Amino acid sequence: MMRNDPIKHVFIWPAVLVVLAISIFPLIYSLTTSFLSYRLIPPIPPRVVWLGNYIALLQEPRFWNAIFTTTLIAFIAVGLQYAIGFGVALALNARVPGERLFRVALLLPMLLAPVAVALVARMIFNPTMGPLNQLLGKFGLVNLPFLTNGHWALACIIAVEVWQWTPFIILMMLAGLQTLPEDVYEAAELENASAWQQFWGITFPMLLPISAAVVFIRLIESYKIMDTVFVMTGGGPGVDTETLTLFAYQEGFKKFNLGYTSALSFLFLIAITIIGVTYLALLRPHLEKRR
Amino acid sequence: MSGQGLTGLSPWSRRLVAAGVLAWCLITVFPLYWVVVTAFKTPPGVVGGPTYLPFIDFTPTLQPFIDLYQGIRGEFFRTFLNSTIVGLSAAAIATAIGAMAAYALVRFEFRVRLGAGLAFFLLALGGYLVFNNNFGFTRPQALLLAFPIALAVAIIANRLPLPGPILGNEDILFWFVSQRMFPPIVTAFALYLLYSEIGRLGFQLIDSYIGLTLCYVAFSLPIVVWLMRDFFEAIPIEVEEAAMVDNVPSWRIFVGIVVPMSMNGLLATFMITLAFVWNEFLFALFLTNSRWQTLPILVAGQNSQRGDEWWAISAAALVAIIPMMIMAGLLSRMMRSGLLLGAIK
Repeated sequence: MMRNDPIKHVFIWPAVLVVLAISIFPLIYSLTTSFLSYRLIPPIPPRVVWLGNYIALLQEPRFWNAIFTTTLIAFIAVGLQYAIGFGVALALNARVPGERLFRVALLLPMLLAPVAVALVARMIFNPTMGPLNQLLGKFGLVNLPFLTNGHWALACIIAVEVWQWTPFIILMMLAGLQTLPEDVYEAAELENASAWQQFWGITFPMLLPISAAVVFIRLIESYKIMDTVFVMTGGGPGVDTETLTLFAYQEGFKKFNLGYTSALSFLFLIAITIIGVTYLALLRPHLEKRR
Repeated sequence: MSGQGLTGLSPWSRRLVAAGVLAWCLITVFPLYWVVVTAFKTPPGVVGGPTYLPFIDFTPTLQPFIDLYQGIRGEFFRTFLNSTIVGLSAAAIATAIGAMAAYALVRFEFRVRLGAGLAFFLLALGGYLVFNNNFGFTRPQALLLAFPIALAVAIIANRLPLPGPILGNEDILFWFVSQRMFPPIVTAFALYLLYSEIGRLGFQLIDSYIGLTLCYVAFSLPIVVWLMRDFFEAIPIEVEEAAMVDNVPSWRIFVGIVVPMSMNGLLATFMITLAFVWNEFLFALFLTNSRWQTLPILVAGQNSQRGDEWWAISAAALVAIIPMMIMAGLLSRMMRSGLLLGAIK
């Protein structure tokens, strides 16, 4: 039941005002800045260049490299997170032995500061003092260039992302699994459906809406990745692991190229929107079929 | 909880699944164990290659923590205090006003004309450009002038019978939540520009308590509104209706009945928000430099100061992590009561 009372405005306006102030202000501000050629160092008075910044960016190989790197990290990391997370959630839901113990460890990684996690990762991936290299040394792989080779560094960043955010997927999938009705499984049991058939025929389709939402959230969040890369590799070696946010940071805070950075952040916003809309459009037919 | 899944499996595949979960558990825990032990090592204990067990492989020491406390590697104590102050106040404010908004969206009906929303945005943008270019105001002045005008016009416009669709509570909720889709770099960089220009007018927001807290409140609101809406929806309406029959005013229903009934949810939301703010890096990097620096910035700065002093880095990381470890313990208890069940529907 909804009621109508003038006091509703007192309830909602503080939140609306704060969000408006902190999101619409900057939005307008950087939207207009993105059409200017505006530098702080060396100080040049702002000059209107219309789409000049955008065109310059689209012709910049470093921009495309950042897009490619970010996409690669986001898609591989989220794919792995989903596969591992769903598997672990299924096992936990089926009361695998030691489930209690695991639940405590479950939440930890996602509550830790990505910056601290990245520092710990740097220790573990350290070629001479890190435990990982000692372990791999037992298999005959010696001193792998974890963070100094472009491909390895990318793999390490993905590994850290997976480590940190798989718990989120486990948590959400576990919550979803607990809402499933038991009688469907009892019926399937009567028909002698194997565990594998039950999974593909019942569990997976019924969890599709939750899966879609969880993957969507993770994908959008992964595109914003910055802290981990900043600490682990700083975008290097060269620009091999430079993500979009890091690129924007370099342009904005190392070169103080304000118009350019604003244009970059808007291109980023457009890219995220396109990815989000495409993703939802691709999934919609599957989701509606199940309802 | 439905206990299907493993029942149909053979004993062997059961063991396989258990082993797989155990392996993931070890992968989750090992890095944490590694920070803890490294934080108690002496420099020779680290440089000589990986060691694993205190008192057997190496002799533990408290020196890294003493160094931290004495501020040998940056003002750690003060940064810790900054993070705590900003985190607690931002989380408290965000939870309070976010919960109010969520309650309003659950119990009251809102109707916003799309035309009014568009008018707001166009007037804010256009007014800003006009004030800035034609009247010679500075950029923040122009924004601060255009914003209230646009808001007032939009509120009036909402009462007029404008053509176009009317948005309801669901759309307002979507608007709130969609703020989280923004790449924070868009906001962070623009906020930095705006704050620094407001600073030039004499009101310092960069590296200030107000600037940082305000930004974190706005940044956390979407998630608070999203989580709290489900808690409020789960509250039986009969209690509120009974109070309304007795003519209890709405704000007393909220403070006296709804808030106590959803205390668990408020607490959990507060903790999740605190965790977000505590760990936040990008805004802190842009908006602070020395006085209000937060822990993530200091921790990130550890690796470049004097080469890689792993014992000190571990101690710093551990200090940043421990409050969140406690939080995880508290939250995992609440999680069992189906906290997140509502949020994903």
